Amino acid sequence: MLSQLLFKKRNTLQFIFATAGAFIGLTALLLSVQLIQDVRGFQSADGDLFGPNMVVIQKKVTRLTTFGMNNTAFTEEDIAILESKDFIENVAPFQSADFKVGISEVIGDGLPHFYADMFFQSIPDDFMDVDVDWQWNEESAFIPIVLPRDFVMLINYGFAQSQGINQISEDVLMAARLTIHMEGNGKREKMIGRVVGFSHKISSILVPENFLSQANDKFGSGKKMQPGRVFIATNDDSYGALEELMEDMNLDIDKSAIDVAKIKTIVSVVVAIFGTAALIIMLLSLLGFVQYSQLILNKSTYEIRTLMRIGYRVNEILRSFMIRLSIIFGVICLSSIGIMLAIKFLWINVFLEDNGIPAVNTSVLLLMITGIITFIVFIGANYVNIRKSIISLGQGS
Amino acid sequence: MKFELQHIVPDPLKGEAFLADSVWNQKVGFGSPEKILLNASSGKGKSTFINILYGLRKDYSGALIINEKPVEQYSIHDWIELRRGDLSFIPQDLQLFHSSTVLENLILKNKLTHQYNESIIIEMLERLGIGDKIHQSCGTLSMGQQQRVAIIRSLLQPFTFLLMDEPFSHLDEKNTAIAMNLINEVTEERGAGYVLTSLGSNHDQTFNRELNI
Repeated sequence: MLSQLLFKKRNTLQFIFATAGAFIGLTALLLSVQLIQDVRGFQSADGDLFGPNMVVIQKKVTRLTTFGMNNTAFTEEDIAILESKDFIENVAPFQSADFKVGISEVIGDGLPHFYADMFFQSIPDDFMDVDVDWQWNEESAFIPIVLPRDFVMLINYGFAQSQGINQISEDVLMAARLTIHMEGNGKREKMIGRVVGFSHKISSILVPENFLSQANDKFGSGKKMQPGRVFIATNDDSYGALEELMEDMNLDIDKSAIDVAKIKTIVSVVVAIFGTAALIIMLLSLLGFVQYSQLILNKSTYEIRTLMRIGYRVNEILRSFMIRLSIIFGVICLSSIGIMLAIKFLWINVFLEDNGIPAVNTSVLLLMITGIITFIVFIGANYVNIRKSIISLGQGS
Repeated sequence: MKFELQHIVPDPLKGEAFLADSVWNQKVGFGSPEKILLNASSGKGKSTFINILYGLRKDYSGALIINEKPVEQYSIHDWIELRRGDLSFIPQDLQLFHSSTVLENLILKNKLTHQYNESIIIEMLERLGIGDKIHQSCGTLSMGQQQRVAIIRSLLQPFTFLLMDEPFSHLDEKNTAIAMNLINEVTEERGAGYVLTSLGSNHDQTFNRELNI
């Protein structure tokens, strides 16, 4: 009876506008939240579309370098400059082996006899882009090694074909044990190694950092080596800054890494704009709804004031408003979530799949939480506004 | 319930001279179960007096103390609690909900404290001669009929004091007597007092006290 009295004078057209505004605003917000979440979930060969971008940088080898007049090593000063850049989250120099390395087959394992000189490098574990068992200690049966995937391609589709030998699958390569010959500092040692994975990003032969440190102590000349390559982790929207750095320091960066940085920058900018726009629409529709409830309050001034004069408590009147608004906004929230899910499953996912991108079915939990938070904010804002108005009507009487 | 007025002068009456026995600018005290008549011609501030006592007007100098507590210390919530269980009111403009029916207006008030059940309310309506109007919108009633609805509404709550601002101005003598009887019955039953303002008539009623303006 109370809410009938209070809502008797509502304007249907205004109600429709306020409701439609809130509905559109909330749907846009939920859609952008879901899209941001989906985009974050997309995986590519170069890692996640979001999150730090790992880039290997090295100085350009020029003619002068070839004649020994120019050094491509990163000095401590160079590293300090990199660390001081805002868009670089982390800097990790490659550690190189300061001794001679060679590999050969393990006799009895069935591989043909071979011997090749090679090198080792290592990077901090955080920068590894392959998920392998990367633990090593002196009791380990073998030294884990990660090769660049391009290397296998080179052998299988270049070397093997031209030499008329069989191609080797990654599995076979990973099953074989290798003898590692290490020599330096007047010492010589053989150990067993095994390829445990292949990296898309790092064109180097990698071994665990702790192994290389120990080996350098043992076989190395002891002089401090300046790294020739450095791993950096950059922000999502660092494309411009990365390009500038390339120019300034005369760096050589893998083009695909630059492209990834470019895509990440564009995507993060687009997502940020989309999210901001949705948030603004949402806030506007919130204002619209507050205005609608204010309008009802204004139209019911006489009723509210009289109710307080005959003994109705502020909270009793407020409750009547809040129940009504909660129902209206609850329906809006549920319809928005429903429409949002329909758009995602019937349109966006279908579109993505038609274009060969597997749809990521991220959880709708975040969607629900966003819906609930928006509901609380809407109801909270209206609660504060309506309560204030009712009290001021009572005091003004 | 106890009221104490300490030199109250409403802002619109500032500068005017008042009689020695006026409620304005004097120290006046009253309370339940006193039955008080406030008799004066129009424009002297009867409604102002009632509205000040009910907490609707604050444009005055001096102090009003209700139940030993100055009204400045009453929040809106305190006033509402007072109006809900201790102090009832028949405003001159009645303040009914015109688009609601007679019964709806009364139930809206009665359900706050469940003072009476519906049959007693209907009995009261019949007693005051508007039993046939219960489902009619208040806006369609005559002023006299509306006054009777407002009188009944004021009784549908617990109270120890009742403020009545010219409640019979549109009623004939016979209907005034019936209404007055009902009010007296209820107030006596509850040991409550009242202030009744009137335009010169004492409605054939004996009062404990008369106040002047």
